[in-house]
Amino acid sequence: MTITRRDLALGSLSALAASSLARPALAQGEPIRIGWLAALTGPSSAPGVGFNRGVIYAAEAINAAGGVKGRKVEIITRDTQGDPTKAVNATQEMISQAKVHAIWGPTNSGESLAVTAIMARAKMPNIHPCVVDSLIDTKRYPNAFRIAPSNSQWDDAVRGYCLNILKTKKVAVIGDTTGYGVSALKASVAAFQKDGAQVVYQSNIDSTQPDMTPDMLRARNAGAEAIVVWSVSTGMDARLFNTRASLGWDVPFVGHPSMASGEIAGLLARPANWEKVYAIGYRSCSYDDKGALPPHTQELVDRLAGKVQLDDTLLWWVAAAVDAVNLVAEAVAAGGSSGEAIIRHWNGLTKHQGYYGTYTFTPENHDGYPTEDVVMSAANTAKNGTFALAPGYV
Amino acid sequence: MLASILASGLAVGAVYALIGITYNTMFATSRVMSFTAGQLGMLGGVLGSLFMLELDLPLVLALPLTLAACALIGVATEFVAVRPVLKSLDQHLYVLSTLAVALIIQQLTALGWGTEPRPFPRLLDLGSGMGDEKYWLPVATCAVTIFGLEYLYRRTLVGRAFIAVAEDNFAACALGLPERNLRIASYALAGAVGALAGFSGGQLLLAFFANGPLLNFYGFIPVALGGLGNNRGAVIGGLALGLFQQAANFTVGGIFSSVMVFTMFIAILLVAPQGLFGSPSTRRV
Repeated sequence: MTITRRDLALGSLSALAASSLARPALAQGEPIRIGWLAALTGPSSAPGVGFNRGVIYAAEAINAAGGVKGRKVEIITRDTQGDPTKAVNATQEMISQAKVHAIWGPTNSGESLAVTAIMARAKMPNIHPCVVDSLIDTKRYPNAFRIAPSNSQWDDAVRGYCLNILKTKKVAVIGDTTGYGVSALKASVAAFQKDGAQVVYQSNIDSTQPDMTPDMLRARNAGAEAIVVWSVSTGMDARLFNTRASLGWDVPFVGHPSMASGEIAGLLARPANWEKVYAIGYRSCSYDDKGALPPHTQELVDRLAGKVQLDDTLLWWVAAAVDAVNLVAEAVAAGGSSGEAIIRHWNGLTKHQGYYGTYTFTPENHDGYPTEDVVMSAANTAKNGTFALAPGYV
Repeated sequence: MLASILASGLAVGAVYALIGITYNTMFATSRVMSFTAGQLGMLGGVLGSLFMLELDLPLVLALPLTLAACALIGVATEFVAVRPVLKSLDQHLYVLSTLAVALIIQQLTALGWGTEPRPFPRLLDLGSGMGDEKYWLPVATCAVTIFGLEYLYRRTLVGRAFIAVAEDNFAACALGLPERNLRIASYALAGAVGALAGFSGGQLLLAFFANGPLLNFYGFIPVALGGLGNNRGAVIGGLALGLFQQAANFTVGGIFSSVMVFTMFIAILLVAPQGLFGSPSTRRV
């Protein structure tokens, strides 16, 4: 049998039509691939490990319930070890080879700064919990959404607690000498002054400085009524608390979440030195004076019981990861798994209740976490990854 | 305020002085400034905490074990980073090789021990306030070390052999002194002195992987101030540095105190390039 040019053309057209018809059927059945850029090993892996527990739990829960319109959720995890270079490589692999539908993470700002533009170029829906303000820019990165507070929101919460609840008018602001510590101190001082408070002392301290007496004495002599701390160094935090005790001073510390880190307990001269320390926390993951969590959070904790370990991590890490996976799944269920559809769905979310927060996104605002849910926690009250609300909240 | 400057300044200064002695001990027999000195100090704190708090060993076991471990690392440094570059000292390759070993030590410590500071135990449980052991223990250790080294160098045959190698390597070899073995021994000794710095200052500095670069930096200043190879100069330079730094913390505070320290350092080197207690090097023409 000879094949004419007409036969060849007809055959080609038929094959093309068949392949294009088959595509939606294939898309309907293919799993929803969520890229997960996780720092699971390396020096700063504690948050990554906590987030990972939430990711695995959420994916298994969705798949056990039959998936999203019959499509399973598949998590494509890459361990970035907290290294921006590895995060860049993993992002490129997820976009060009694994062809994921959305990416959750990275979970620290250093990595996120390195990969955000790459994801934007690929129009890849991205959801992350990193705090650096510049990571969210709806003009440059219309694909990037934040489900945790930004630095500015942390700053607002700390300032609000000092001025409105502690009723202090004179504060000392202390940061470490890292880029973060310097910029956070500068922003904090400017915001306090803008709100009419008096910043009586400000200093960036090398976090390895063995003795904090000079700075604490200067703050006390300047009349500070509260000390605001912007540092990720638990060693510096503990030294500040010990020095306060040795000076016989009972000034409250307010600031960065690292002040509630469990590692501080071992560095204190006395456990009492951790009193009157209020670290940034979240209303959803804080218990009240009766020891009760908000009902919606308690529901998650009950569901996690026996499946996810919470006593060595923070509940907000687990809850935020559960929310991230659910947000992707819900977006696909609502509008399909194309990047445009997922982004369109997220842009329309108003007061969407997750476990970690109630998120609102618009095309002009991708900072979805409500500032009023950022609260201060009593730093020495950790219980299964949650903290007691600092005094003064109702 | 004065008591705090004295107590804290002398304590930190004594740690810097001990790191300075570590630099000098390695330099004496090899003419190499090994930038592992600070890491040995860091390891003194980390291993001390590991042995005493994690493994629950008593002080009498933990201290010798820490010193022995750091002495071994000192010897390994000599083999890995110093010996291969001795033939081309004028190219200063040792800067790279010893810095590489220092980085390896730091990263391995970060991975194995963690990146957060951990507590260091109270050793003798003596004193409180400004008389607390965390302030006077480094000073006492520094005093014992300097007297011990003086005794070693001036009263023992091994010590005199060290000095002979330090004074003139080739002449010492010609006399039949085992130059290579003495160099290895001096690196072991330096490792132990570095470990003592971290162990005695552990309550101040905590068991923290990031102490290495700090000690490398501030431990080098007493060497430059006191004159290269001059242990007495390193002790005086270290104590002066500690006091000046703590006084600067009180007067200008924060990062500006580091600026003050390095301004003073540069000013002194401009006036006395060979260090305050060093002698100008002579060159045969």
